[in-house]
Amino acid sequence: MKKSEFSIGTRSTGTARGRAFPGALTAGLLAMVALTSGCVRHDAEFSHREEYNELIPEGQEYVHKVLGTYFGKPTRIVAWEKLPLKLHAAVGTVGEGATSLSVPVNFTQENLPLRPELEAAWLSGNLFQKNDTPALIEAIGENGSVMFPDPGLAQLPAAGDRVAIGPGEVLKFGRVLYAEHCLHCHGVSGDSHGPTAPYLNPKPRDFRRGIFKFTTTVAASRASRTDLSRTIDEGIPGTYMPSFKLLTPDENMALVEYVLWLAMRGEVEYQLTGQLKNDYSNEAFADRVKGGESAAEIRKELTDAVNGGEMADTFNGIVDTAVERWVAAQEEASLVTPTVKHLEATAESIARGRALYLSKDLNCVACHGEAGLGDGPQTYSITKNSAGADNPTPGLYDDWGNLVVPRNLTTGIYRGGRRPIDLFSRLHGGIKGTPMPAFGGKKSDEELWDLVNYIMSVPYEKRTPGDGSKEAKPAEAPPQVAAGG
Amino acid sequence: MKKFWVFFFMLVPVLALWSCIVAPGYGWWFPGSDGPSKGVAASPLGRRIDDLFYMILVITTITFIGVQLALGYVLWTGIRRDNREGDVEKAWFSHGSHELEVIWSIVPAAVLLFIALYQMDVWASYRVKTHFPEEVQNKPMAEVTARQFEWRIRYPGLDENGNVLPLMPDPQPTDLYAVNDLHLPSGRPVMINLKTQDVQHSFFLPELRVKQDAVPGLVIPVWFEADKSGEYTLLCAELCGWGHYKMKARFVARPEEEFIPYLRELTKQQSYDGVKEAAAQ
Ligand SMILES: [Cu+2]
Repeated sequence: MKKSEFSIGTRSTGTARGRAFPGALTAGLLAMVALTSGCVRHDAEFSHREEYNELIPEGQEYVHKVLGTYFGKPTRIVAWEKLPLKLHAAVGTVGEGATSLSVPVNFTQENLPLRPELEAAWLSGNLFQKNDTPALIEAIGENGSVMFPDPGLAQLPAAGDRVAIGPGEVLKFGRVLYAEHCLHCHGVSGDSHGPTAPYLNPKPRDFRRGIFKFTTTVAASRASRTDLSRTIDEGIPGTYMPSFKLLTPDENMALVEYVLWLAMRGEVEYQLTGQLKNDYSNEAFADRVKGGESAAEIRKELTDAVNGGEMADTFNGIVDTAVERWVAAQEEASLVTPTVKHLEATAESIARGRALYLSKDLNCVACHGEAGLGDGPQTYSITKNSAGADNPTPGLYDDWGNLVVPRNLTTGIYRGGRRPIDLFSRLHGGIKGTPMPAFGGKKSDEELWDLVNYIMSVPYEKRTPGDGSKEAKPAEAPPQVAAGG
Repeated sequence: MKKFWVFFFMLVPVLALWSCIVAPGYGWWFPGSDGPSKGVAASPLGRRIDDLFYMILVITTITFIGVQLALGYVLWTGIRRDNREGDVEKAWFSHGSHELEVIWSIVPAAVLLFIALYQMDVWASYRVKTHFPEEVQNKPMAEVTARQFEWRIRYPGLDENGNVLPLMPDPQPTDLYAVNDLHLPSGRPVMINLKTQDVQHSFFLPELRVKQDAVPGLVIPVWFEADKSGEYTLLCAELCGWGHYKMKARFVARPEEEFIPYLRELTKQQSYDGVKEAAAQ
């Protein structure tokens, strides 16, 4: 497998040595403060899934090592080239006429502003992976060439070689922003176990399944970058996710990439533990031993698979699938694109939408209720999970195992945005990871627009007390009595 | 050595005055328009509030310096007495001077009464609805709803002729929504209706010297006027929860004639149906 990686994070440099003494002093003071206040600084680690703990020790060790190799630790991220992410400050190919002091580059990706002191890392060619003496750039020339300080490069890259300026800079930037703005709910690993998470309802998103609820992509697709960036920008009304509108576009981009990176890491772990669980969970292991296999043999089977490259194939397969899905989600074909314009919200269109809402076919009523109050019969029935088993308590559950309430349509709060395309996408692609199904393909775009118009009209419906379906009639005139003499 | 302590204590007022004088130069002063007039409120009412602040500052400075001088005098005469040879006079304590008690009750009371009466006018135009400027009387231009931890804004939409509709207390189908981004005309008084969805928050425009608590269950009208077009800070000034520091938004003041185009742009964004123009034809 072609793999090039860059460890980013704390690295000791010459300048740090000069400050060794005050550094030690500060560290000593910090340690004293930490000891006296009863907290000790731990080296930050990503947590593992619950399923990880059910694996036999050899399985755990493999998962831990492989994730550490390709994704690293929170403070020492591995910028893995294979992932479809904007990892570096800029990426390009070397043009003609490189000298040891100036290398012309045709940039294909410019993610962050380039500044001197950023590293130039060669992603292919004869300089590939020769990063033992990283070349720090001095400036960016007007024609886009990268200038190096004297004495310059020892070896010249060939035209067509790929080069990254500031390897891993985007993730590094994203990590800092994530720690500042997102971590206390979504957690270090994106597992939604941040310190404030227990107090929130609905729960913050667990990124590690790669599933995001509010997207403008089709049902089978992952979220697009635009969806995530919009969520950060606009927040999610009706939940604790606030708007981060004042972040700059660069900051927003770096956060999106970091969240995607956490999602990919989590997804790889999810799939990998899922695969290993079949044969090497504690339970499977016990069963197999009971079935007559020897414990040592089962352990050897796993270590052989790891050392013989069999597990590497499994791992690569998992990564390839994840990468493909994320790449596909960014393509225009994955976007929900209505073929007809938003129909005008006429009384007829709303009435057609209401009929669809009530129809046996779509059965919106089952969850959202006849009046759209989110109190349909499913909310108090025992429902089934994706594996077909009964859920523990009555009501609807999402893929993360949380009890979810169908939206009350009368409030006029739309979590995924209130543009017609947002509601259309919800109907077309469903709400991913939740029981809200996708109607795209099942119903025509016109019908979906009728439904959108109906849903948007619900908060403004005129209701009369008592009978919900009939118009209230004025009371009959009281019987007249002739005035007595 | 005794003289040293006199000079040491007298250093306090000198340092206090010095830090007050240099503070604006370092930007340790009121937020406001920058340039030569740094620290000046960006609204007419804000400048009147600043004037009140400066008046109080002058009164307290005079009092402070007077008290410090008196302290210096007492210490100094103490040393002189102490140094006189053969002087057996000891420190003595007095209690119950009726005249003194009356003087230092009446003088501060008079000062406070003066301040109370003097500021009434500003207070009224800031908080009393009937004293609001004519232009904003019962004409809220937006509803700002605070919630943990953001500002949600609702504008009345535009009618068929492109005129701004009146803001209704309840949401209307024509309403336009934004978050953490309040746009209103500059150069004239504007009014918003302030609400909160959850706990108590505080609507704070530091550059304009506007601060108003948002109280659950209440709709509070707040008016302000940005002199100049520009982007101002909108903060929450109430400790409303762990994410309080994130409750930061912007207030964008632009000339009146740019307000309707802004609403039109918002309408366009809000009615986006995802249909590519080419595909629609
Ligand atoms: Cu607040």
